[in-house]
Amino acid sequence: MTSPMTSPMTGPMTGPMTGPRNMAATCRLATRLFWRDKSMVFASVVTPVGLAVGMPALMRNVTGVAAATHVFQGALALLLAITAFMNVTVVLAGRRDQLVLKRLRASRLTDAQILTGQIAGTATQTVIVTVSCTLAVHLVADVPLPADPVGFAAVVIAGSAVLSLLGAAYTAAVPRAELAAAFTTPVFLVAGVSAGAMGPIPLPSWLPPVLDLLPTTAVVDAVRTGELVVPLLILAGWTLAGLAAIRLWFRWEPRRS
Amino acid sequence: MRAIEVSGLSKSHQGFPAVRDVSFEVAEGTVFALLGRNGAGKTTTVEVLAGFQRAGSGTVRVLGLDPWSDRAALRQRVGIMLQEAGFFPELTVAQTVGIWRDFTAAPRPRDEALELAGLEDRSGTRVRQLSGGEKRRLDLALALLGRPDVLFLDEPTTGMDPEARSRTWEVVRDLAGQGTTVLLTTHYLEEAQRLASALAVMDQGEIVASGGMAETLAARRGRVAFRMPAEVRPADLPLAVTLEGDLAVCRAEDPDLAAQTLLSWAAARGVRLAGLEVRTATLEDLFLDLSRSAR
Repeated sequence: MTSPMTSPMTGPMTGPMTGPRNMAATCRLATRLFWRDKSMVFASVVTPVGLAVGMPALMRNVTGVAAATHVFQGALALLLAITAFMNVTVVLAGRRDQLVLKRLRASRLTDAQILTGQIAGTATQTVIVTVSCTLAVHLVADVPLPADPVGFAAVVIAGSAVLSLLGAAYTAAVPRAELAAAFTTPVFLVAGVSAGAMGPIPLPSWLPPVLDLLPTTAVVDAVRTGELVVPLLILAGWTLAGLAAIRLWFRWEPRRS
Repeated sequence: MRAIEVSGLSKSHQGFPAVRDVSFEVAEGTVFALLGRNGAGKTTTVEVLAGFQRAGSGTVRVLGLDPWSDRAALRQRVGIMLQEAGFFPELTVAQTVGIWRDFTAAPRPRDEALELAGLEDRSGTRVRQLSGGEKRRLDLALALLGRPDVLFLDEPTTGMDPEARSRTWEVVRDLAGQGTTVLLTTHYLEEAQRLASALAVMDQGEIVASGGMAETLAARRGRVAFRMPAEVRPADLPLAVTLEGDLAVCRAEDPDLAAQTLLSWAAARGVRLAGLEVRTATLEDLFLDLSRSAR
């Protein structure tokens, strides 16, 4: 039996003719609310941008452009973990617990439109932040611009969307909204370590191949090597996992006990 | 034509039966009141009808649609005022209505929705600054935006001041007059009596009384009450009374006739029945009687 607190996503995944319009409306709403929330902007934009631009700028002066480039590419994992994953987890867990999601479900939006709009909004913010950081580190640390801009754009957009989707799914594991940020910290750490964003950390030999399957690592690998096929397949796998998790476990209301 | 049909609905929460074998129907363009104490199962019933919860067993149809499996289609035709739901606190009233208009096909104009809810003077106020009653009014404005065929109102006037409550009643009456079907839950029995043409009373998940409002009340006994004169004993009176403090209360199917009998008896003896009050059965009498018998 399905309890009211854990009701899975129902209704068509795509709406009728109003679907795209409603999705655009929820995306605009997500963006508008995000930029009004100063603490969220600080946590999910200022902090990761500081890391992604500040660390390469320091490295540039200490060990040179190659090291700065390597660190920046690794820092993309941090941007994805914070600006996409943590942001959407905190926002959706908060709205769930404040019964805002329940109110949105009482409107004419479908479940898919509510979530897709939020995910699209967060992914768009992440893409904007990532591109801005890429330009900034080019200016301040001489990190070269991507050799394949189209491939770079494709993998950044796909990575932002997948991490936003996974962040939405992850809210099912967050018992209360006030724990949401704390619950995303391990994800941030694992993403950073696996992408080498936190410097060389000795790991057991079996672990790196496993960490290579993380969506954040897939994006970083694609940017470093220019190889897109395997990373995009990994992201596709995570997309399916995220969609399945949302359908099975996403909670629209807080637990009542 | 029936807008809402519920047949044998049962629903449990973690093994606890919240709603048990509930059946009722609501005719199109009427107001139906679902009454009961806290925890009686009203909100669970409304949430099943609105598609938030799946029926455990039984059949539920709203405008011929299954609220759970046809939720997306049904949402286009219903308005929902939940008992408890959050807002975006940083947005103003006007911004909130504006955003909801974006989600709604052919919505009412923003100012019309605000006027219906009596919020035209609060349009620039942030939602977090609204009182509880004002938030209920904003809730109403959002529920009415899409000109719904069926309106679910779960405790709609809780926290409203008397003026806002009266205004909300007027809006609900007008909507029903224009053909909107309204399912209302409320703790204010006067509200139900004024608005609804039919009712069901729930207790411990079951319906314990239901029917047309006028017929249901007509079948109940009315009440004649007066201050018991000091020199009179209850046994002296021509009709049986119960004492409630210093009030003598006589319950009768025809309270007018009972009052005449008592007054004739008093006139013949030169006794004054001070504070005499005669009234037909109210929903409150029905509700309290049912609650007493349930205990």
